[in-house]
Amino acid sequence: MRSDMTLPSWAWIVMVAGLVAFVTMIVVSIRRHQGVKRSLFASPYALWMIIFTVLPVILISYYAFTDVNGAFTLDNFKNFWDSHYEMNKVIAAEGERLGVDYSAYIQRGSVNVDTLVYSLWMAFKCTLICLIVGYPAALFMADRHMKLGSTLVVLFIIPMWMNFLLRTVAWMSLLEDSGLINNFLRWLGLDSVQLMYTSNAVLLGMVYNFLPFMVFPIYTVLSKMDYRLTEASADLGCNSFQTLYKVTMPLSLPGVISGITMVFMPSVTTFFIPRVLGGGYTMMFGDLIEAKFLTEGNWNAGSALSLLMMLLILVSLSILRKVDPNGEGGGLA
Amino acid sequence: MKFLKKTYLGLILIFLYIPIVVLIIQSFNAGESRALWEGFSLHWYAELFQDERILNALYVTLSIAVLAMIVSTILGTLAAIGIHAMRKRPQAMMMTLTNLPNTMPDIVTGISLMLLFLFTRVERGYVTMLLAHITFDTPYVILSVLPKLKQMNRHTYEAALDLGATPLYALVHIIIPQCKQGIITGAMLAFTLSLDDFTISYFTTSPLVQNLSTLIYSATRTGIDPTLNALSALMFVALLVLLLIVNRRTAEEKAQ
Amino acid sequence: MMENPNLIELKGVSKDYDGVTVLKNIDLCVRKKEFVTLLGPSGCGKTTTLRIIGGFELASEGQVLFEGKDIAHLPPYKRAVNTVFQKYALFPHLNVHDNIAFGLKLKKVPKAEINKRVDAMLDLVNLRGYGKRHVDALSGGQQQRVAIARSLINEPEVLLLDEPLGALDLKLRKDMQLELKSMQQRLGITFIYVTHDQEEALTMSDTIVVMNEGTIQQIGDPKTIYDEPANAFVADFIGESNILRGTMIKDELVEFAGASFPCVDSGFGENAPVDVVIRPEDIMLVGEDVGQLVGTIASVLFKGVHYEMMIDTGDFTFKVHSTTMQPQGSRVGLSIVPFNIHIMKPMEEEA
Repeated sequence: MRSDMTLPSWAWIVMVAGLVAFVTMIVVSIRRHQGVKRSLFASPYALWMIIFTVLPVILISYYAFTDVNGAFTLDNFKNFWDSHYEMNKVIAAEGERLGVDYSAYIQRGSVNVDTLVYSLWMAFKCTLICLIVGYPAALFMADRHMKLGSTLVVLFIIPMWMNFLLRTVAWMSLLEDSGLINNFLRWLGLDSVQLMYTSNAVLLGMVYNFLPFMVFPIYTVLSKMDYRLTEASADLGCNSFQTLYKVTMPLSLPGVISGITMVFMPSVTTFFIPRVLGGGYTMMFGDLIEAKFLTEGNWNAGSALSLLMMLLILVSLSILRKVDPNGEGGGLA
Repeated sequence: MKFLKKTYLGLILIFLYIPIVVLIIQSFNAGESRALWEGFSLHWYAELFQDERILNALYVTLSIAVLAMIVSTILGTLAAIGIHAMRKRPQAMMMTLTNLPNTMPDIVTGISLMLLFLFTRVERGYVTMLLAHITFDTPYVILSVLPKLKQMNRHTYEAALDLGATPLYALVHIIIPQCKQGIITGAMLAFTLSLDDFTISYFTTSPLVQNLSTLIYSATRTGIDPTLNALSALMFVALLVLLLIVNRRTAEEKAQ
Repeated sequence: MMENPNLIELKGVSKDYDGVTVLKNIDLCVRKKEFVTLLGPSGCGKTTTLRIIGGFELASEGQVLFEGKDIAHLPPYKRAVNTVFQKYALFPHLNVHDNIAFGLKLKKVPKAEINKRVDAMLDLVNLRGYGKRHVDALSGGQQQRVAIARSLINEPEVLLLDEPLGALDLKLRKDMQLELKSMQQRLGITFIYVTHDQEEALTMSDTIVVMNEGTIQQIGDPKTIYDEPANAFVADFIGESNILRGTMIKDELVEFAGASFPCVDSGFGENAPVDVVIRPEDIMLVGEDVGQLVGTIASVLFKGVHYEMMIDTGDFTFKVHSTTMQPQGSRVGLSIVPFNIHIMKPMEEEA
């Protein structure tokens, strides 16, 4: 056994006990029902998810609504809204103590909100670009006459086998001042341009990483679509552009929605790409959360941010679900 | 028109493959510079097999991907069979539970698990990372197996019982073979996700136990040396070869 | 010791799902080598009854006896009963041979014997040489035969068939009906057959059990069921019928459609409300002056063997089958012999 099997003994006991309980349940069920009650098979998973998904979410909520001493507070959210909140509290208290009006010095710190707005804006741009670039790609892949679909799916997946951090870092070698693109420009006799450490570099990295997640669901829906529908539309007098936006596009909506979800969500929360390609000059919401936990060690503030993030995504998902109530948009699987 | 479409797809593919080509070229560069070509060399490949840190990270990455794949495939397949047999209400509840991790951003999943381990005073390391990987893999296994179960004629299970099979025998010989394809897809998905994960691993392990992603991440601060490029190039080629073998096999099976 | 003639007995069997009753107090006896058909519209409980006999559902109440022993709690794999499922439920990952051999492999029968018996079965169902085929590559009718072979190879005492011919086209259906019937007679196995097709039930069965809304409406041989339906539901479900409200004036005299008719039924009391059932082919068209009723022909349809005419007598529109056509709009007399007027107690008013 590895030396870093660092679980405390009680955790092992819990696991073994869980396993024994499961086997016992199955045996009892066999005795009672002359057969296994199959729904019992889901119980280890249910237990697992309660411990490793539900409980952690409860923990995040707990930390978000408490202070360091564990007392209930909304300060973490006020802190989000006003990043100077704690400082302002101190200034105001000091002013009261001294009987001086410090209100001129009290200013709302907007770092957190700005970061969130910036992240949303970046994610929005990334999603839009992915949609504009990805939709035609999916459409051409699904073209029955080209018979390229399944090969291209594989070709889109293969790059993902290269560690995504390394792929992102590889963009550095292309974009930096002494990188390939600028060398090429210089060779042409042109001026080099600042490409790295800009928000456009971050955007490029995001589009690069998330584009396949836009293409796949749209392609899945399009390739399952009955091609006779487009023939029918042509038969009824639509030209190919009319067919595209009157028949194909509406029918591919579930895939588009699923693609938007799959691109938008990781875009808002990415924290590696802006760090590498943005050089840390552009902070996104994921960085903020990570910094709150690991740099500042402020779990409560970090939890509040995480909770907000989660709510934001749940709300936008439920809005998207309204448009695609059956969730027909294909995923990766 | 066809030519334009193909050109468009070709451009996207070039976009997707450029960094990979760059990476692989760099791994054969004699010098350490990212931009300057100093001649062909296998230097970094030789160094790779001496770098304890990288080899250890490789071991952690692969062993966790394999273990997480095995556990999540078993857990997920059992769960899918269970969920499939449930009545409407509990089924809907289980599906919400299964979809929850998909709607949670990685960073929140990672942080919430980190909080769990900190809260229960479980020291983070290899096992916690493994537990985290199983947690995010399993829903994907369920989501690949469940459609196969739904497609299955549910009477085949009863037919097996009717012909004298015990429920366990019917499960192993009738239900599982019929969703074999979904189980394989789920397992492969789990392996891939686990192999490529960074965010969740980052929050659920300690600096002492690193997988390739977290190692690369910490290396980005000091500058990545081409040894890591060499390793990824090797892994990339290994997976490519594996894919070709699998493809050849399925093609042969189809031919038969 | 006298052998119990009843192979399967259901005594007071009821079943409910989450408070919804689908079977109410079913009593049923099935004798050895009998061909029993459970007949009724969808949702009448016939499939549930079959699944209780097969062991796939537990009865909420009542007993299921097999050769006099209660098997209500015996799981399906311990019952000497085999089922041919709706849509066959063949194992898609096994070929024809392995599908049929499934039951024997479980019994650990030696391989050589399995092969011999599977081949014999393939012969029986006319599928010689199909053993290596994949089940998905077979036509519906062939899949049907495999499903039957797979069940019969276990030599069950009883074969349960759940709408086995439901997915076949009409011609194949008729052929398979005859084939199944002759197979049953040759092998001497008890068949319990579920269908919603009354014609199929009449063709094949020794005994028909007509069910509706979880209760048994009538048990009898095909002729009795057709000629002497126990109530208006049976009459309506089996064949075509004219069903009208009437009044029993006295024994052997009934009044309906504004006229009185002699009949052969008695014992309903005087001036009792009754349901009257008359088959369309039992109404004779006669001259206007000699008919018991007079009506106008509202419509005429050619049905192949006969014409179907709707005849309006003012009080009621009768459906009449006749081999001679009368032009639409003409007036005709209707006559019914007493024996063909079926009188039954009125159906309970729906609450």
